[in-house]
Amino acid sequence: MNKVLEVNDLHVSFDTYAGEVKAVRGVTFELHEGEVLAIVGESGCGKSVTAQTIMKLNPMPPARIVSGEIQLAGKNIVKATEKEMMNIRGKDVSMIFQDPMTCLNPTMQVGKQLTEAIRHHQNLSKEAAHKEALRLLELVNIPNVKQRAKQYPHEFSGGMRQRVMIAMALSCAPKLLIADEPTTALDVTIQAQIMDLLQEIKEKTNTAIILITHDLGVVASMADRVAVMYAGKVVETGTAEEIFYRPSHPYTRALLKSLPTVEMDRSVRLVSIAGTPPDLLNPPVGCPFASRCEHAMKICIEEMPPQFDPSDNHQAACWLLHEDCPSKKDGGE
Amino acid sequence: MSKKNVKENKLNKINDLNNENITDMNNNSQEITPEKIDVSRFEWIGSNTTESETISRPSTSYWKDAMHRLRRNKAAMICLIIIGIIGILSIIIPIISPYTVSEQHVTHTYAKIGYTDPGDGHVHLFGTDSLGRDVFTRIWYGARISLFISFTAVFVNVIIGIIYGGIAGYIGGAVDNVMMRIIEIINGIPYLIIVILLMMIMPKGIMTIVVAYAAVAWTGMARLVRGQIMSLKQQDYVVAAKVMGAKPSRIIGKHLLPNTFSVVIVHITLSIPSAIFTEAFLSYIGLGVPVPYASWGTLANEGRQLFQMYPHLLIIPAICISLTMLSFNLLGDGLRDALDPKLRR
Amino acid sequence: MIKYIGKRLFYAALTLLALTALTFFMMRWLPGDPFIGEKAIPETTMKALNKKYGLDKPMLEQLFMYIGNVLKGDLGHSIHYNRPVNDIIAQAFPYSFDLGIRALIFATIMGVFLGIVAAVKRGTHWDTLTMLLAIIGVSVPSFIVGSLLQYFLGLRVYQIFDVRLFPITGWNTFASKILPSFALSFGSLATISRLMRTSMLDVLGQDYIKTAKSKGLSQKKIIWKHAVRNAIMPVITVLGPIAAAVLTGAFVIENIFSIPGMGRFFVLSIQAQDYTMISGTTLCYGAFLVIANLIVDLAYGFIDPRVKLTNVKE
Repeated sequence: MNKVLEVNDLHVSFDTYAGEVKAVRGVTFELHEGEVLAIVGESGCGKSVTAQTIMKLNPMPPARIVSGEIQLAGKNIVKATEKEMMNIRGKDVSMIFQDPMTCLNPTMQVGKQLTEAIRHHQNLSKEAAHKEALRLLELVNIPNVKQRAKQYPHEFSGGMRQRVMIAMALSCAPKLLIADEPTTALDVTIQAQIMDLLQEIKEKTNTAIILITHDLGVVASMADRVAVMYAGKVVETGTAEEIFYRPSHPYTRALLKSLPTVEMDRSVRLVSIAGTPPDLLNPPVGCPFASRCEHAMKICIEEMPPQFDPSDNHQAACWLLHEDCPSKKDGGE
Repeated sequence: MSKKNVKENKLNKINDLNNENITDMNNNSQEITPEKIDVSRFEWIGSNTTESETISRPSTSYWKDAMHRLRRNKAAMICLIIIGIIGILSIIIPIISPYTVSEQHVTHTYAKIGYTDPGDGHVHLFGTDSLGRDVFTRIWYGARISLFISFTAVFVNVIIGIIYGGIAGYIGGAVDNVMMRIIEIINGIPYLIIVILLMMIMPKGIMTIVVAYAAVAWTGMARLVRGQIMSLKQQDYVVAAKVMGAKPSRIIGKHLLPNTFSVVIVHITLSIPSAIFTEAFLSYIGLGVPVPYASWGTLANEGRQLFQMYPHLLIIPAICISLTMLSFNLLGDGLRDALDPKLRR
Repeated sequence: MIKYIGKRLFYAALTLLALTALTFFMMRWLPGDPFIGEKAIPETTMKALNKKYGLDKPMLEQLFMYIGNVLKGDLGHSIHYNRPVNDIIAQAFPYSFDLGIRALIFATIMGVFLGIVAAVKRGTHWDTLTMLLAIIGVSVPSFIVGSLLQYFLGLRVYQIFDVRLFPITGWNTFASKILPSFALSFGSLATISRLMRTSMLDVLGQDYIKTAKSKGLSQKKIIWKHAVRNAIMPVITVLGPIAAAVLTGAFVIENIFSIPGMGRFFVLSIQAQDYTMISGTTLCYGAFLVIANLIVDLAYGFIDPRVKLTNVKE
């Protein structure tokens, strides 16, 4: 399997008038062809910033890549100029956004918005590009494509618009597709359809997908691997199975406990995580989750834990996994 | 503060410890085989959500925060100072000036800026006009009239606008529909034409301008207040207050009006230049304040007739009008940015 | 869409009717008398004059007569000029229209352009410079701009360099049209550029701009193909009020530059208290503005695809 993306110790900050907000503080992960990586975390944990940095979509300034590197299809994104990025965006990597209602230009025909991307990257005639656009719309299961292509976004429903977005993202067969909370703004029934569509596309095109979400249900259905982010850091990564059945980080465990399941007795109360994430203007020196963690130890607030390997294909940054930790044996579950 | 120091000390210790360990063990893959760590450091302390719940940035009230933002806006602050100076001068100068407004000095008419008469030792900072009246005194006297007219007019506007817009917005439905149609019809006609027509049927005077202007310009305020009330009415906290049985007067007074305050303030600031302009415009086409009075507009009008020979007679009132309008506009922009951070660009 | 146009037309007619009644009553309530001249007029002559102009009939009858005449396209007879008002308007209107349309087009094109530049170059010196110019434009009344331009560019340049760059008065050569058009457009230009900047910044922060960027489009393409068309919408909605501002601004500009347009006649007839002339010109202005607003409303429907739909639903 070819490696599509490699993110290495990425640090991204926002320069605000209040000071430097360290939104992403050392994120490392990689992605192979046809693989789905889910990045999970609550709002403001830096997952979207990480994704947008891969495409350099964050306005810079105020955003700034402090350090680290991003290798995408053999190119170093961090060093790429804006002109080079124009060739990479849409062709090597494309993105689906959260809110399909606002992501399409309201004053441009849907078909035109599709052909625009196609003609930008492929040397096609107007007719050929239009044909390609119709093919893409068919691919994402939109009926009456000929008629639909001439319509404006407001004539589409939310789910339909998200399909258009997916068609647009796929227009140049990108090696990597980033889906930034693709179902958050949609109805539950539509959510399932969109996830099915993404699954279908992945199988057809073998595109690597980064799925950003705070919905663990979505993750379970589709992801090969999961990265859990908290306060700008990846606190735990592993295969979906490892994360769901053998979570090692207390934050991951708390996240899973806050999720209702079908088998759950109605008398069982869902566990919420008390407290709020730390202010990234002054991130704590130690583990960012320490103040909300019921297992917190002295060392947790003093020093950032390194990555430990609780099992193969599984890393977590938690002092509980340190071999000297007295509770290591019972800390596992 | 002391807590932080303790933390820092600890941190230094940890760093020392780490460095020693690294040099001792000469091990660079510490992630895989971590160095030995003293068991005491694994002492359980549990979660401390009270600490993480406390907001680390100082919380400030809306108005305090807004004022802070306004104070950071240099242009707006300078404008505030300029407005202050103009206001103070318009009060003081006509009192302490050695000349009265209509005092004529036939011996030195059309004096240039900074003129000192060799005969009687009269000093005319801004020169004199065709009748030998001191322009400096007249300018500040005119400032009084112009500012009085615009402030009063805007005040009247705001009162009418809040009441009209408030009623339309609060009641809604058919009443709102009719009230808004009336505004639409008034707005269909250029306001200056209505003001001119009103000016013509009423006896000439300062209050005439106020009334004529206020009779038309309230529509903007009314629309604004109505829009605000409309959207606030649907806010959950207002609905909640209603559900809990609050009287309409309480909902209006306690929830709706205070929340329209910020837009009203911005609108007031931006209405004053419009009122100044209207007064000047009317005076300029000969419909302004009657003769014994002088406003910036009448001064500019007098100056216009002579300005090919004596440009300062036009340029000085022109600068006064423009500078005051500019200051209010910039202050209004600053206020808007300060009061509505979402709109901040 | 037809219903929408019908509704707009109805309101336009209502506005004009209100304006007609308003002008009529105001003119009748005016203090002073159009016949008051240098010498006293004998009673019998006065009566004859009143009869001639229908001033002796009951007020309501006069109003209906007046509205009837207006509907027939007869705006009455100017007492001051002793000519039909229609004639004067027909003669003066082309000048005013020429001036107004030049100012309006210049203000719109330049305003939109400067607004785009300021938004795209946000935070740079270009932004600061354009917005400084805009705030000055909003704050300096057109009559001051006109007078100063006339003095410095018209008169002083001639006095100092002995070249007639711009004539001080008149409306015949192209050079003579530059200063009045610019003076008249300056304020509107500033308003439009401020609005365009805000709107452009708003649009540039929208998600679909991010989508366009994620497609790999260049900054230039994003701005011209995606941002401008959306950002220009609010500018179109203010074109009606802008037209009104240009119109009233023309009162003084035409006076300053001695252009024989309607504004000049309007101001002169106010000073002469010429009833019919004032109501005639006011009506003409009103009709013109109502039509302008109607055009703006319809144009908006054509440019923004969303409006079409909502109105069909209505």
